[in-house]
Amino acid sequence: MRIHHLPYQDPGVPDVRSGTRFLVWLGRNQLGGQLRSLGWGLLHFAALAALPLAVGRAVQAVVDRSGSALGWSAALIAALGGAIALGDTMLHRTAVTNWITAAARVQQLLARRTAALGSVLTQRVAAGEVVAVSTGDVEKIGWFVEALSRFLAAALSLVLVCVGLVVYAPALGWVVAAGMPVLALAALPLLPRATRRADAQREKAGYATELASDTVAGLRVLRGIGGEELFLGRYRAASQEVRTAAVRSARMWALIAAIQVVLPGLMLIAVVVYGAGLAADGRISVGELVTVYSAVALTAYPLRHFEEIAMAFSFSRPSARRAARVLALSRTDPAEAGQQLPKGELYDPVTGLRAPEGLLTAVVCGDPDAAGRLAERLGGHPAGPDQESGGADEKATTARPAAEEHASVRLGGVPLDGLPLDLARTAVLVQDKDPVLLSGTLRELLDVPSSGSVPVDEALAAARCGDVLDALAQASPDGGGDPMATRITERGRSLSGGQRQRLALARSLVTDPQVLVLDEPTSAVDSHTEARVAESVRRLRAGRTTVVLASSPLLLDVADRVVLVHEGRVAAVGTHRALLRDEPRYRAVVTRETEDEKDDRESASGRGRVEMEEPA
Amino acid sequence: MSRVIGVAPPEYDPAAPETATILPVAGAATVRGYVQQLLRRHRRAFTLLVTVNAVAVVASMVGPALLGALVDRLAEGARELYLPQTVAVFAGALAVQTVFVRMVRLRGAMLGEEMLADLREDFLVRSVKLPPGVLERAGTGDLLSRITTDVDRLAEAMREAVPQLAIGVVWAGLLLGGLAVTAPPLALAVLVAAPLLIVGCRWYFRRAPAAYRSESAGYAAVASVLAETVDAGRTIEAHRLGARRIAQSDRRIREWTAWERYTLFLRSVLFPVVSLSHMTVLVAVVLVGGVGVLRGWLDVGQLTTGALLAQMLVEPVGLILRWYDELQIAQVSLARLVGVREIEPDAGDPGVRPEGREVRAQEVRFGYREGVDVLHRVSLEVPPGTRVALVGPSGAGKSTLGRLLAGIYGPRTGRVTLGAAELSRMPAERVREQVALVNQEHHVFTGSLRDNLLLARVDSGDEELWAALAAVGADGWARALAERLDTAVGSGGLALTPAQAQQIALARLVLADPHTLVLDEATSLLDPRAARRLERSLARVLDGRTVVAIAHRLHTAHDADVIAVVEDGRITELGGHDELVAAGGAYASLWRSWHG
Repeated sequence: MRIHHLPYQDPGVPDVRSGTRFLVWLGRNQLGGQLRSLGWGLLHFAALAALPLAVGRAVQAVVDRSGSALGWSAALIAALGGAIALGDTMLHRTAVTNWITAAARVQQLLARRTAALGSVLTQRVAAGEVVAVSTGDVEKIGWFVEALSRFLAAALSLVLVCVGLVVYAPALGWVVAAGMPVLALAALPLLPRATRRADAQREKAGYATELASDTVAGLRVLRGIGGEELFLGRYRAASQEVRTAAVRSARMWALIAAIQVVLPGLMLIAVVVYGAGLAADGRISVGELVTVYSAVALTAYPLRHFEEIAMAFSFSRPSARRAARVLALSRTDPAEAGQQLPKGELYDPVTGLRAPEGLLTAVVCGDPDAAGRLAERLGGHPAGPDQESGGADEKATTARPAAEEHASVRLGGVPLDGLPLDLARTAVLVQDKDPVLLSGTLRELLDVPSSGSVPVDEALAAARCGDVLDALAQASPDGGGDPMATRITERGRSLSGGQRQRLALARSLVTDPQVLVLDEPTSAVDSHTEARVAESVRRLRAGRTTVVLASSPLLLDVADRVVLVHEGRVAAVGTHRALLRDEPRYRAVVTRETEDEKDDRESASGRGRVEMEEPA
Repeated sequence: MSRVIGVAPPEYDPAAPETATILPVAGAATVRGYVQQLLRRHRRAFTLLVTVNAVAVVASMVGPALLGALVDRLAEGARELYLPQTVAVFAGALAVQTVFVRMVRLRGAMLGEEMLADLREDFLVRSVKLPPGVLERAGTGDLLSRITTDVDRLAEAMREAVPQLAIGVVWAGLLLGGLAVTAPPLALAVLVAAPLLIVGCRWYFRRAPAAYRSESAGYAAVASVLAETVDAGRTIEAHRLGARRIAQSDRRIREWTAWERYTLFLRSVLFPVVSLSHMTVLVAVVLVGGVGVLRGWLDVGQLTTGALLAQMLVEPVGLILRWYDELQIAQVSLARLVGVREIEPDAGDPGVRPEGREVRAQEVRFGYREGVDVLHRVSLEVPPGTRVALVGPSGAGKSTLGRLLAGIYGPRTGRVTLGAAELSRMPAERVREQVALVNQEHHVFTGSLRDNLLLARVDSGDEELWAALAAVGADGWARALAERLDTAVGSGGLALTPAQAQQIALARLVLADPHTLVLDEATSLLDPRAARRLERSLARVLDGRTVVAIAHRLHTAHDADVIAVVEDGRITELGGHDELVAAGGAYASLWRSWHG
């Protein structure tokens, strides 16, 4: 796999039975890359290990007063230099390629999994955990994948060095070979403590960053009402804690660095003492002494890879476990494919709600939570807890609906839950109370699967998005540019609540589904605008089935039928004006005065508190 | 290998700005000035680091020097090798080197951490002094990305790059010095490699920082697509956007890996250049030294020491190259952090004091952009204790007018006064003692419930806090919390409902006690059914204060003393509810459709 062939057409089906199996699966998929990396690594480390031989020969040549031998030694150094450079560069290229291909594969797997899980994902696993896999764990897994073959090459080359030294200068070689394992493993016992301290530091740093971003996010509140010093003081304390933890962690790493100096140093001293004696007795040449010294001095570099692989492995194992857990989540779609798109009236057997085909039905529901549940049920395939039992540590969910609430909504008599998910979503679009504006340009935002019969500008006009277009034009990089090409920041945070709602509505209108269910689509829109939006939605949806869950008279007034749902059942049906006149329960929910007065009476007598009310 | 040659930078740059940045980015001079100031503040620590490092490096050169001397004696066939003395000196030097290497690492980290702490704290200090008008206009997104992304990038640089570069430069310099002391001709031999290294590095460093910035932005984009898919699961499923999300993830991966491929190409040029320079040095030292020995102007010991020192150069050179581009990347982040310093904190004129409580706008014109006014000659009087409702369609200028009346923006022409004193000339701290803007942004800060209230009046006791909570009807649920005022709330703590969050915001108002409030759709983001309960809390807070309410629900307007209908930046209707309904204008028709 080469980098420019990424992304994968198909990232494959991962083995997610455990973290280790997942790592093995990843490794098997890039066996060629790992072998290439190992090969180049061996060239690099072996050439590097052979360098002292050439340097020793050069010194010996000079001792022997041989100009030609010196020349040959220099040529050997140059040749080895070429091999080192080539091996180094290619090792880096192949190892990084392994990293990138593994990271890309995991990211692609995650993207596919999250898209397939849709609304049930966050009920199975905390959103933060999925994001943590993508932002942190992928890198750690990639690190291990990258370091593995480099480590193997380094370890093999160390064995080669020891064997070579034993052959080249047996007496000295044995000393080095005996000491090498100590050098390789000496720092390892300190690593767990060092990584723990590093983790503690990261955690503190994360908290400080969170405090800072939290303070900045609420800065308008602080500037508007005060308390800057309070929050600055808090941040300073957190920031200093990060500093202390970082220094604490640095102490450990400094100790490891010191060990990495002192142990090879002791080995060098041993080589010098022992070797000088041997050289004085004529058992080894001066050149051999220099070779051994310089070979030992150079082992510091491959030795460092022992430390790296130990850390990479200890970091990547929990990461792989978490990735495997997220990738193991699934959502089964019980229905078989190949069914027709149903048409007709939408009927909810639980509440008894009917939305006749082609009409605008408004639903008034006293309890906001019940309204949300009703809206979700109207789409079929509710994400509600547990249609199936998934992973072992599935998140416990609240409010399990009663058995009878499982009865599926029917469209034209066909139960939606029995349809394939995609078909059900095509037939009925439920815009929930908190629709998310996906980041991207406005054009991308409105480019959704649709019937194609509602043009984007018509939908924007119907949702009264003129002011949004102005604001976006102003925010475009060149100022006053094309609003359709301007990016909307994440979740539309740069827009006001009302503007976000109207854009979400425009998106649903563009989709133009056979049945559109809107839950409080204009609660943050001012009355002037809401009245106009209500009128144009009605016009645009003429002949299509629309259900609006709302409590604003301006919306209710344009509906063909208004349904009052009281305590989970349909209690009354009629027009807004008729219900307002004849149905006291409806009046209580929709017009505010009555309820306010009633509530005020209750709170005043019930809790014995007498408060000033706003002057009428 | 043929593919390696000539990889062009990808066309799409994920690090390019996507929206207009409103906050300034510091120029080179400001950044330089700031760095100098930072270094001056930590001069002692810096000097100490360099000294300790020098000792460690000198100690590390003792080994090769001793071996050189030993080789000399062996080559001459000397009878006395001075082995015990050699071992003693070597061991002593090793001990010094070990201790000082540890100190270098530790001192380096301490210095880096201190500078970093200074930097991030400085930034927040500056941020919280920004004029409210700047914040309102710029939003907090840009600031947020500076305090998270840019501080993170700088952390890497401060923690590692600055100390490591200092170490690397000193190290390389001392090795070259050691080489020159050992045998001056060998130091000259090193220079043979300089042209290759200089040309290669110039080529690389001209391209690398921007490329790495794009690469890391590209990688962040991959993760953010996924985070969004997770966050928007319901919306994605409802609109059947799954396939598009996958395609978008794949596209981001392609963009990111294209940059990875480009930076890999850059390193594929740099790495051989560095390796080959190093080898050139070694070959040159061996050849020049060898010839020198054969000719008799050097001895074998000098050659040995020289070759070993030349071999040691690889580490500091690697260190310098490794961290230099990190420093360049950090420079950009630093410019963004320091840029906040270029905004003048508007101090206001402490001499401007209001006399009385009447709020008045006179012939006010105001616009966000040059030549485009949002408000046209608007005049409005708000006598103390009255309640004014601003109604009108979105984009008509209601919110802008509200912000002018709250002193957040100053008018382009005309005056906005409180008690005859101009709001825009008062310090923000004085303005907020009198006027508060309450908007839909009910931020709950990470921390205890107490901290969340205390910010409004830092010296309040618990009893006052409870009284404020009781005043907005929040004492019930607050007393039911396990740790009461000490309960951790906000992100990471107990998640409050939007209505509870808004009650906290109101309790803060009770504590801050300004006499005039500007309400901008304070309850509009709440579920309409939950909003009703909250409105009673609000009513208690409003009692006895002057209120300008940007009303988006008509019942709020109905209760006001005066209703101002704002359309196209002008007040088109002004009067009491009954008066306006009787007049039969825009307000009247709206009311009729609302109320049936």
